Amino acid sequence: MIHSPLPQTDYMASGHVGCPGCGATVAMKFALRALGEKTMLVIPACCWAIIAGSHPQTSLKVPVLHTAFATAGAAASGLRAALDMRGDTETTVVAWAGDGGTFDIGFQALSGAVERNEDFIYVCYDNEAYMNTGVQRSSSTPFGTRTTTTPGTNWKHTRKKNIVEAFAAHRIPYAATASIAYPEDMIRKFQRARELKGGSRFLHVYATCPTGWRVPSDQCIKIARLAVKTRAFPLYEVTDGVRYTLNHDAEPPLPVRDYLSVQGRFKHLTDDDYGEIQAMVDEDWELLKRKVALAPEEARA
Amino acid sequence: MRISRSNVSTEINKTGSWRFVRPGYDEKTAPCSNACPVGQDIARIEMLMGQGMFPAAWETILRENPFPAVCGRVCFHPCERVCNRGEMDSAVGIHHLERFVGDLAIERAYALPHPFYGDEAETDRRATGGKTVAIGGAGPAGLAAAYFLARLGHTCDIYEADSEPGGVLRWGIPWYRLPEDVLKAEISRIVDMGVKIYCQKPITRDFMARAREQYDAVFLGCGYGRSLPLWIPGEEKVLNGLAYLHDIRGGDNTCTGGRAAVIGGGNTAIDVARSLTRLGVEPILVYRRRRQDMPAFDHEVEMALAEGVQLMPLVAPVRIDGGDGGMVLTLQRMRTTRMETAGGRCRVEPDGDRTETLMVDQVYSAIGAEPGENWLFPPEHQPGQLRMSHCILWEHPDARLPVVFGGDLTTPVKSVTDAVASGKQAAMALDTRFRHGGKAIPERLGACRVGDGTALSMEIYLSGRRKTRNPAIVPFSALNTDYFAPAERQAPPVLSPETRCGSFEEVEGAYGRDAAVQEASRCFNCGICNDCDNCRLFCPEVAIYIDGTRCINLDYCKGCGICVVECPRNAMTLEEEAS
Repeated sequence: MIHSPLPQTDYMASGHVGCPGCGATVAMKFALRALGEKTMLVIPACCWAIIAGSHPQTSLKVPVLHTAFATAGAAASGLRAALDMRGDTETTVVAWAGDGGTFDIGFQALSGAVERNEDFIYVCYDNEAYMNTGVQRSSSTPFGTRTTTTPGTNWKHTRKKNIVEAFAAHRIPYAATASIAYPEDMIRKFQRARELKGGSRFLHVYATCPTGWRVPSDQCIKIARLAVKTRAFPLYEVTDGVRYTLNHDAEPPLPVRDYLSVQGRFKHLTDDDYGEIQAMVDEDWELLKRKVALAPEEARA
Repeated sequence: MRISRSNVSTEINKTGSWRFVRPGYDEKTAPCSNACPVGQDIARIEMLMGQGMFPAAWETILRENPFPAVCGRVCFHPCERVCNRGEMDSAVGIHHLERFVGDLAIERAYALPHPFYGDEAETDRRATGGKTVAIGGAGPAGLAAAYFLARLGHTCDIYEADSEPGGVLRWGIPWYRLPEDVLKAEISRIVDMGVKIYCQKPITRDFMARAREQYDAVFLGCGYGRSLPLWIPGEEKVLNGLAYLHDIRGGDNTCTGGRAAVIGGGNTAIDVARSLTRLGVEPILVYRRRRQDMPAFDHEVEMALAEGVQLMPLVAPVRIDGGDGGMVLTLQRMRTTRMETAGGRCRVEPDGDRTETLMVDQVYSAIGAEPGENWLFPPEHQPGQLRMSHCILWEHPDARLPVVFGGDLTTPVKSVTDAVASGKQAAMALDTRFRHGGKAIPERLGACRVGDGTALSMEIYLSGRRKTRNPAIVPFSALNTDYFAPAERQAPPVLSPETRCGSFEEVEGAYGRDAAVQEASRCFNCGICNDCDNCRLFCPEVAIYIDGTRCINLDYCKGCGICVVECPRNAMTLEEEAS
C-alpha cells in the first residue's frame, strides 16, 4: 500500500552501472517520475553518459541523445527545433548534465541557448567535481574541498560558482535549486518546469557522490538533507530572473560544520576553516534573503 | 544520418553481484511494547489510530488485553517512561489513546474480532477438545485468565467472594479514577463470551478438594484483600484503608469529618487520602520515607497534593492514644541512611529519640495487604511446581489437578496490568499443558516473549503476524529523526483541584477524536513498517517493488544501504552478505 501523493511510475531500469548509493541516479529517478514518458534527454559527457548505458544498453525508458561535453545547450536547442519541425510540441526536451558540463565546459553553449530563450529544461545534477573521470575539481567544487587536482594543502581555496545566479542574470523564465533529500519539493519543481513551456528553464539539482566525497553510500540522502539544513545548499526558485522564493527556511540552521565534518573530502579542515566557510554560508544566505524580500509577495512563485 | 542506437535494457547486468551487505525488512520490537506488562503491540496500535482506523486499533489491543478502557485509566503506563519520543520532546500519551479507543469501543459497541487469531483453521481446531477451568476471584487476573482461556476454546467458571465482580477494580480503585460503567462494560464483554461469574461464592478448601469432579484445572487469583497490621499499641483504633475504599464504592460513607491521618505511601494510601478530601476530611499522609521513595505513582501523589492532601514524610507511627473525642498519634522521626532497598528506595532508621505527636479524628492504615486466607499463598518450592514470571503452576497433590496461582499472589509488581499479564500467562500455560503436556510449557511460553522482558504475546502464541517480529528493541539512536518534527503532546482536559475536592467525578477527561489522531501521529511506530515507502522511493537501483508487500530484488540491489538509513523507524536491517 502506498499513501504517497508522488507520481509512482519509474522510467529508469535496474542494472545500470552507477556507483552504490549514487545521488545522481536518485535525481534521475525523481526527475523522470515528474516529467513522464513524453521526455527526450540530451546527455553530454558526465557520469550519466555511462549510467544511461554503454552501447547497446540503455537504463532509461525515454529516448536519450548522447552528445559531446561542451554541447548540451546547443544539442538540446537542435533537438527542440527538430521536434517542432515534426509538429511535436508535447515532448519535453531535457538537457541533463553534470557540473563540469554546466559550470565549465558546457557553459558557453548553455549561455548562448538560454540567451535565445530556447524551449527546454536544462538540469545540472551537481556532484561538485568531475567524478566520472576521477574526481577532478570543477568550478562547482566548494571552498575547502580536496580533489585529485586539489590535493593535500592545495585544497580548493576559491568559492563555488553560483550557477543559479548566473542563469537568473540571463533573465530566463524559471531557475530553481532542488535536492534529492526533498523529493516532494524536487518533483514539484520538475513538474512546474515542464509546464512553463516556451522558454529556458534551469534546474540545479544537488546530487551526493559517495565515491568522490568519501562518504558511506548509505549516507547519500542524509548528507543531501544536511546541506539544506545547514543552508549550504538552499532550496529556492527564481522566476523571470528577479522574483525569488525560498522553499525551505532551514530554521534554526545547523552549523555548516555538521555537514562538512561527515565527509572525507573535508576531513582536513581546521576550526578556522570551518569558521571561514560558515561566514560564507551566512553571507550567501543573507544575500538570498534580501533578494527574496525584494520580490512582492503576490509575485512570488 | 546514421546514429548508433541502444535498444537493450541494462537489466541484463545483474548488479546484485557487487553487493557485500544485504538489506532486508526486519520488523523489531518497540521499547513501549517491551515495557508493557501485557506486551501490547503499541507501535501498531498507534499507527492504526493515526490513520483513524479505530476498530482495528482496538482489536490489536484486545489480542493482548481485555481491558483497554480500564487499563487506559489505571495502568501506571511504564510504556511512556521508555517511549523513544521522550528523547525528542515528550512521550506519546499512550494511556490516553488506549482509554480513548477503549471508550469508543464501548460507546459504539465494537464486536470482538472473529476469527480472533490467525485463520479460520485455528478457530476450527479449537472448537473441540476444550477443557473446563474454575477461577477463584473475579479481579483483573481472574477475569483476564477467563477471557484468554475462553478465547482458546475452554470453558470457565469464576467464583467471586464479593457481591459484584471486578476485585480491586470494583472495590479498591475510587470512582474518580475508574467510573463504574466503564468497568461494567468491559466485564460484560467477558460474560458475553460465555464465562460464568458466581458472586458471593468464594473458592474454599472444600471446593478445592472436590474441584476435580467438575474441573480440569483451577486458577487462583484472589488478590490481596487483607490489610497488613501495624503492630503498634492502640492499633484497634485504626481504620482499615482498603475496607474504607470498599465501603465508599459500596455506597457507605463511614467517615465523620475533621482531620485524618493516613498511614502509608502506596497507591492505596493515596486513594484513601484523596477519597477523604472528597468527603470533607482533611487528610495527612504519614509516611516513613521521603516523597521520592513513595511506591505510589508520582502522578497520583501530585494530584493528591494539589487537592490539599498534606504529606508528613520521615515519620513512623509508634502508638495511638485517645478515643472518640480525638486521637493522639505518636510518631518517631526517621532519618535517611546511605543504604538503599532492593527496589532503589532509601533505607531509613529512627532519628534518635525524636518523636512528635499528631492530633487527628481518625487514623487509616494502608501499608500493604496480603491474601485473605493463608492457604491461598502459593506454597514455597514444592515438587511439581513450575514458577513463571507472573504465576506458579502446581500439580496440586491433594486436589490432583493443575492449580495456577496468579494475580497479586505471584506477580512481581502488584498492579492491575501485571495481574492481567498473569491471567494471560496462566491461560497460555494451561492451554499448553492441556494440549502438549506440562513439559512443553517453558519452551512454548519462552517463544512468546515480547522483546527481552517478561511480557508474553497471545498473538505470537497463536502464530499471528507478529510472530516473525525480531525481539530486538529499537533504541532512539536507530531511528532516522529527520522525518520527525517536534510536536507538543496533546493534553486531555483535567478537572481543577477545587472541582475535584467536591465530588467523585472522574478527574481526567478523554481525548477528542482529533486530539487522538494527532497524538497517535506523534508515535514513531518504532520498528514497524507503516508503508511510508521511503525505501522504495530512494532506492537508486529501482530494485524495490511491491508484490503484496515490499520486496527487494537482490539481482540488482548493490547494497548501498540507503533504504535502511532512510527508514525512519528502524524496520529494516543491513546484514553482511555470506561470502
